[in-house]
Amino acid sequence: MNPFVETRHIIQRELRKNLRSVKGIALAVLTLLGGSSIALLIAKYNDFKREEMGQISPEELHMLREKALARLYEEDTAKWLADAPEVLLALLSFTVWLAPLLIALMGFDAISPDIQHRTVRYWTIRSRRWSYFLGKWAGLWATVSIVTLAMDAIIWGVCVVRGEADVATTLSWGVRFWLTSLPLSAIWCSIAVLISSLFRVPMVALLVTFATFFTLWVVYLIANVAHLDPLLYLYPNHYDHLMLDPKAYRFGTGVLASFGMTALFVAGGSALFARRDV
Amino acid sequence: MSTEENLARESKPASQPPAPEAQANVESAPKPADGLTGYSPAPLPPAARGAKKKRKDVEIAIRVNKVVKRFGSKTAVDGVSLKVKAGSVYGLIGPNGAGKTTTFSMLAGFLKPSSGEIEVLGYAPTQVDELRSRLGVLPQDALLPPWDKVGEFLMHMARLQDVPADRVEAECREVLEEVDGKDWWNVRCSQLSHGMAKRVQLAQALLGEPEIVLLDEPTAGLDPRVAYEIRQLIKRRKGRCTLIVSSHNLQELEEVCDAACILDRGRVVASGSITELTASSEEVRIKLGAGPAPVAVVRELPMVKRVEFDEERRELVVYFDRGQVDAETVIGHVLWALLQNQARISGVTKGKGLEQRVMELT
Repeated sequence: MNPFVETRHIIQRELRKNLRSVKGIALAVLTLLGGSSIALLIAKYNDFKREEMGQISPEELHMLREKALARLYEEDTAKWLADAPEVLLALLSFTVWLAPLLIALMGFDAISPDIQHRTVRYWTIRSRRWSYFLGKWAGLWATVSIVTLAMDAIIWGVCVVRGEADVATTLSWGVRFWLTSLPLSAIWCSIAVLISSLFRVPMVALLVTFATFFTLWVVYLIANVAHLDPLLYLYPNHYDHLMLDPKAYRFGTGVLASFGMTALFVAGGSALFARRDV
Repeated sequence: MSTEENLARESKPASQPPAPEAQANVESAPKPADGLTGYSPAPLPPAARGAKKKRKDVEIAIRVNKVVKRFGSKTAVDGVSLKVKAGSVYGLIGPNGAGKTTTFSMLAGFLKPSSGEIEVLGYAPTQVDELRSRLGVLPQDALLPPWDKVGEFLMHMARLQDVPADRVEAECREVLEEVDGKDWWNVRCSQLSHGMAKRVQLAQALLGEPEIVLLDEPTAGLDPRVAYEIRQLIKRRKGRCTLIVSSHNLQELEEVCDAACILDRGRVVASGSITELTASSEEVRIKLGAGPAPVAVVRELPMVKRVEFDEERRELVVYFDRGQVDAETVIGHVLWALLQNQARISGVTKGKGLEQRVMELT
């Protein structure tokens, strides 16, 4: 059997398992509720801003937004992003920041309970270890992508209903931002599955996953403050700077770098998993 | 203990060649090639990397050659060699910590040997694609995925085994019915009792009519009725595939196995056909009731080599030359002689029983 067919079967099962388990449903509901609440808060803030800053023209508002974004992104990117509806920009940040938490909670038990209870033995005689690992990673990534898409879709709806932007603008920016979050969550998923495969006890895997994600964030903060630019690239979410850039080569570099980092973790995890006793 | 020493402990006279069945089932000393399957220990032959070997091509289902498994400083399996003939039922016997499950796990590819080679149908156990659907495994303590329904789990396993899409459900239902679990299709694995779960585990091992089925403690923790049913199922499979059974239950193994190896502290201490292991073709044990014990009369019988009598247990052990006469003939003559001399007979057994043999060796 083609190893990718094995992987496809495992992805399908993971999706079914993740989206049907109590944990999966609870996390999906919490994510959707969280997303909806944030959308409403942003909308309320926009109402307040319109009331308070009514005398400011849209052009001036655009300039202000551009200046604010320039503190976070490069000039071209800031100029480009200033055209996006604010709600969707906030949603992108929320998705990118929420994803690691969601992934840690959904991914810590991707493999570790299978090793703990030796359930993995039913798979290792039927699938290559690397296709099992790849299937687990892709299944988690697909689940997270579906959950974030559902959350985004709700907010797109709020955005259109409240007249923040028309349907075409909302979908155009919304889908673009959601697609930008995918390569980032792919990296986080690969790290979570790698950690899950290293520990027999799911609780240990959860703690180590949180610790690792937190450490990466701290490294990012330090690198930011100390201007240690190469270190910034250790933090997966930093690649959004490249992927949000309107210049094609920088966007391409961001996508390639994200998937390269993902491939590195998936390949490393698969290799370690293939060598270990189960 | 080396394999040569194992041979010595078998204490077979040089003039008595082992039974052909034993020759096929047991390998105590590794050979570079045996002419049966073009086997050479390592690396695997080019043919093994090509097309899958068909059932008819393989006479020796499993070959284990000087396999060692260490966990840190502890050696769990120490130089085990064995050979299992295709179509036979082979037992792995031994006390706790003997290395049965470790050996079993290496055969299934769960654990990697620290040294030595293992071939399953001519392939390394980790060559999943080559062994797909040809090797079924019932691991001892692997829990079923709790969220899956039994039917879903079996269908997922069948798909991974490359069962044709239009046959997946039918095949899973058939195998579930074979383990008497046709009503469990929609039951979640977490809701199954221990006995039911064991049968579902057995069902997944039998999916796709594999050529080799490895069963680790298939009846452990089951009530006698379910254990009996599983034994019957194993017996029904006899001849259709090669079965390797690891168990503590020696009576069970004696009942279902053609051959076995006895492990102790990671080493093979004896191996051979069940007939050889129990010496049932070399000795007859007769339990006498209260009354006369005419040992001298039995000793004078022409086919008898030696006679021992345990007065306390009132057990008469009659040794004979298996090349000259079979156990049934000896039993007839001995019983006749005893009855003629007013002995009261309360039981007759061929050999010493696997349990006693294991107790002697471990």
